[in-house]
Amino acid sequence: MQFDRGASGSDLQSEINITPLVDVVLVLLIIFMVVVPLLLQGYDVETPRPSAVVAPVQADEVQVILSIEPTACNIVVPPAGEGLPADCRVTLAEQEIPAAELPARVAEILGGRPADSRVLFLAADDQLNYEGVLRIVDLAKARVDDLTIAFVAND
Amino acid sequence: MRLGEPAPMKAVINITPLVDVVLVLLIIFMVMAPQMMRKGPDVDLPNTAKPREQGDERGRILVSVDKAGGLWIDDLAVAPNQFGDSLRAAAGDEPDPKVVIRGDAQLRFGEVRQAMVAIEEAGFHGVGLIAKSAGAKAQGD
Repeated sequence: MQFDRGASGSDLQSEINITPLVDVVLVLLIIFMVVVPLLLQGYDVETPRPSAVVAPVQADEVQVILSIEPTACNIVVPPAGEGLPADCRVTLAEQEIPAAELPARVAEILGGRPADSRVLFLAADDQLNYEGVLRIVDLAKARVDDLTIAFVAND
Repeated sequence: MRLGEPAPMKAVINITPLVDVVLVLLIIFMVMAPQMMRKGPDVDLPNTAKPREQGDERGRILVSVDKAGGLWIDDLAVAPNQFGDSLRAAAGDEPDPKVVIRGDAQLRFGEVRQAMVAIEEAGFHGVGLIAKSAGAKAQGD
């Protein structure tokens, strides 16, 4: 801080005063430190609707259903570590495929459709672990970013 | 004061640094306040590879499903038969309320699906399923 020394010709100060700059930068740092943990991350999905309600798919296009069965993909217990069990298989559009091929197959089937009909219906068994199901959702969305995931009402 | 004249003596206290410090403290407390009252129970969020941004947790209706399958709306544990009414009450008259589910990683999918069905029946379409990216430490819980 520079104090006014009155009328006597004070020394010329040739350094830039960086104190206000540091103040502002510190405040911004604190704001970002505190806000970042408040941000949420996740997946937008459509909630299961009663079957009478029309799904958001045009009538001339086939609905693509991804189903996950505990017999084909053992994620009844929470999957250890990251990713899915290596032998996990899912059924996409009536074809059983390894889960690792899911991103490519979903992109192939749904990637060419107009954005508002890129809908993947997801039928997951109730016994499965929630974390495992979310990892499959993550795989399905990996290549088609604006994919709509709609859970199927299976009761 | 004309150019060339020496500056007159200033007898005023320089309050700029004081104002700086006070403003910083104000901002810190403004930002900390919502975090102090972090919503909902402790939930171990599922780990996934690449979860998408879901925005700030303020302005969302936070539905939590804890390890035991109990339902929470924001801070309150809610009985399943009152869930719909409580959810509509939490939404108030907000024009486009967004509901997110924080489900525990240990849950069975069926328990989360029931929560989704209850949200759908309460008149809300679409939810965000909250996860944390693999490797990130306890984000958003």
